[in-house]
Amino acid sequence: MKRFLILLAAFVASWAALAAPPAHAALQVDVTQGVSQPLPIAIPDFVGDPQAGANIAGVVRADLERSGLFRPLDQKGFAERITNINTVPNFGSWRAITAQGLVTGQVTQQPDGRLRVDFRLWDVYGESQMLGLQFFTTPENWRRIAHMVSDAIYERITGEKGYFDTRVVFIAESGPAQKRVKRLAIMDQDGANPNFLTNGSYMVLTPRFNPTAQMIAYMSYISAKPRVYLFDIETGKQEMLGNFPNMTFSPRFSPDGNRVALTLETNGNSDIYVMDLRSRAIQRLTSDPGIDTAPSFSPDGRQIAFESDRGGSQQIYLMNVDGSGQRRISFGAGNNGTPVWSPRGDLLAFTKQQGGRFTLGVMRTDGSGERMISSGPHDEGPTWAPNGRVLMFSRISGGGANSQIWSIDVTGRNERRVLTPGSASDPAWSPLIQ
Amino acid sequence: MSSSHSPTRVRAASAATATYRRARPTTEEGPRYGVFASVAFHGLIVAAMFFTIQRNFDTPEDSNVVPVDLVTIADVTNVAPQAPPQPEMEKIEIPQPTLEAPPEPQMQAVEPAPEPPMPQFDVQKEVKPVEKPVEPKKTAAQNFDALLNKLTAAEKPVKNAKPAERVIPGIGSGNAMTANIADALKSQIYRCWSPPTGAPDARDLIADFVLNLNPDGTVAALRMAPGTLAASGNPYTRAAAEAASRAIYQCQPYRLPADRYNVWREINPLRFDPRQMMQQ
Repeated sequence: MKRFLILLAAFVASWAALAAPPAHAALQVDVTQGVSQPLPIAIPDFVGDPQAGANIAGVVRADLERSGLFRPLDQKGFAERITNINTVPNFGSWRAITAQGLVTGQVTQQPDGRLRVDFRLWDVYGESQMLGLQFFTTPENWRRIAHMVSDAIYERITGEKGYFDTRVVFIAESGPAQKRVKRLAIMDQDGANPNFLTNGSYMVLTPRFNPTAQMIAYMSYISAKPRVYLFDIETGKQEMLGNFPNMTFSPRFSPDGNRVALTLETNGNSDIYVMDLRSRAIQRLTSDPGIDTAPSFSPDGRQIAFESDRGGSQQIYLMNVDGSGQRRISFGAGNNGTPVWSPRGDLLAFTKQQGGRFTLGVMRTDGSGERMISSGPHDEGPTWAPNGRVLMFSRISGGGANSQIWSIDVTGRNERRVLTPGSASDPAWSPLIQ
Repeated sequence: MSSSHSPTRVRAASAATATYRRARPTTEEGPRYGVFASVAFHGLIVAAMFFTIQRNFDTPEDSNVVPVDLVTIADVTNVAPQAPPQPEMEKIEIPQPTLEAPPEPQMQAVEPAPEPPMPQFDVQKEVKPVEKPVEPKKTAAQNFDALLNKLTAAEKPVKNAKPAERVIPGIGSGNAMTANIADALKSQIYRCWSPPTGAPDARDLIADFVLNLNPDGTVAALRMAPGTLAASGNPYTRAAAEAASRAIYQCQPYRLPADRYNVWREINPLRFDPRQMMQQ
């Protein structure tokens, strides 16, 4: 019995020693408030070819600055001159100018005529390299390389996919209000390389990109009747999508690019149909007497968001891709329309009309969390960047005479104008270019 | 004639021998000390495991509340697509999910919060001798009970706590001294911290660190807590951890009371949680 008690005491003592808290307690601190400041980043001109080096670094600086999350520092303040990107920079001199990131790059002409671009992204405080990549391309493609460099830097620092190597298709408008000329146009997301795709002799509306980014679906009045057309960017050919006796409009591709959802009007009733692009078979999804239009696929291709006034006012509805399960999800004030599903799948962007104002909003896909993000007074037709973080939209002023394309972050910050050749509307953002 | 080999004597002798040589049975009758001891030790092991493991558990985060719409059957049938649109449709009593008021667009930089007044730390040249608390001898059972009580007892905030000569253990002992130092540190770090706020799931953006500081307030060592390190494969978590680490390096040296260095020499965990900033 005595032996038992001794063992028991020893056991409890050893357990107590293990379970007891450490003699020295560490302080616990919870930081829950910070500031929202763009990251100061130093991007000196790339070395090697002076002209190309300056051009590429310039585009990278502009891309990152436009995102609102970076603040490229002025080159004049740089103390260290980078001549060789393979040596470790003197981080102290970069810290002294408050840079937190540093990008060094190099452009060299290859013997076969191609351009080679190398760059390194450095963590100034951690004193280490964060990223290093190399690209080869034809010299004329230098802009795309610059955008890919921006995408790589953006993704490494923010954790989100980039969106700089993309294009935007839109309607370029010109002429007086009574005789407006509308042409299909395409440009890089920063406004460079604008190209007109149609000649303006016929009206074009609501262009949308195919997920492989080589085909555009849009609405046109070529034969005085509104129809949906497919335009192949590379060949320039276009074809009519189905020959329906009545109006067809608001086309949108499915995420796999094989189907197009569109609105067909018969006997004054507008409903949503889906057409298979290969078989040209058409399936009707809604049969409500109200106006059902503006379909948008979810990124997993299983649901469609659309606009309907079956309840008496324009509101946003969801349905399964076979037309079942139609239900209303917008219950906020005013009229809510033009739903566009985010490529990330987590949000819907839409246009709210209330009290004569049109503003852009986002909501979760169950209709909750509705918040307005743009300032109006007449903003409409949102389109998402492929990373689901940035949007573009049309801002109309002068009673409809003037229209501009603006971009904004999903948090509502960084509202800024996108430069276009003249008046522009109906932007549609391409996916990342393959 | 009697001989030593008389049968009686032989029987007695052999009986005695037999007693000597009789093997002790392997199972004895009587109080089963062994069984009791075994059960008691097993019970103690289980209890020890239970209490030790329980102390190391992190409380799980609250899951998001799922909004539920209650709709009566009558209202559902009213919404059938075939029903002709009538003005009455607008009176459908579908309870509206509560909408958050849209937050003001944060176009301007956030005004820095007013710095909390630097706590007055009196450096006493002469420390009054503190009596060492006398430890009465406790039995094993009382030790067990005392530890149990300490684990479950609510913390009492201690006013004007002075550190005893023997540091009293206890994580989050909650005295005014440590709260002031934590606030001082927070007010010096927040200016440098600009977290990424774009993640769809804000919990991905929480980053924990273990920070060791030198007496002059500069960073001696900084490393990610094991949980954050394990999650750093997630690009959002990595971006959040890097933003926090940049903030820690950028805002050094930290001005903290030198005579309380023992309190702030190690900060574990130093947690960066941007969810309030994202209103999630």
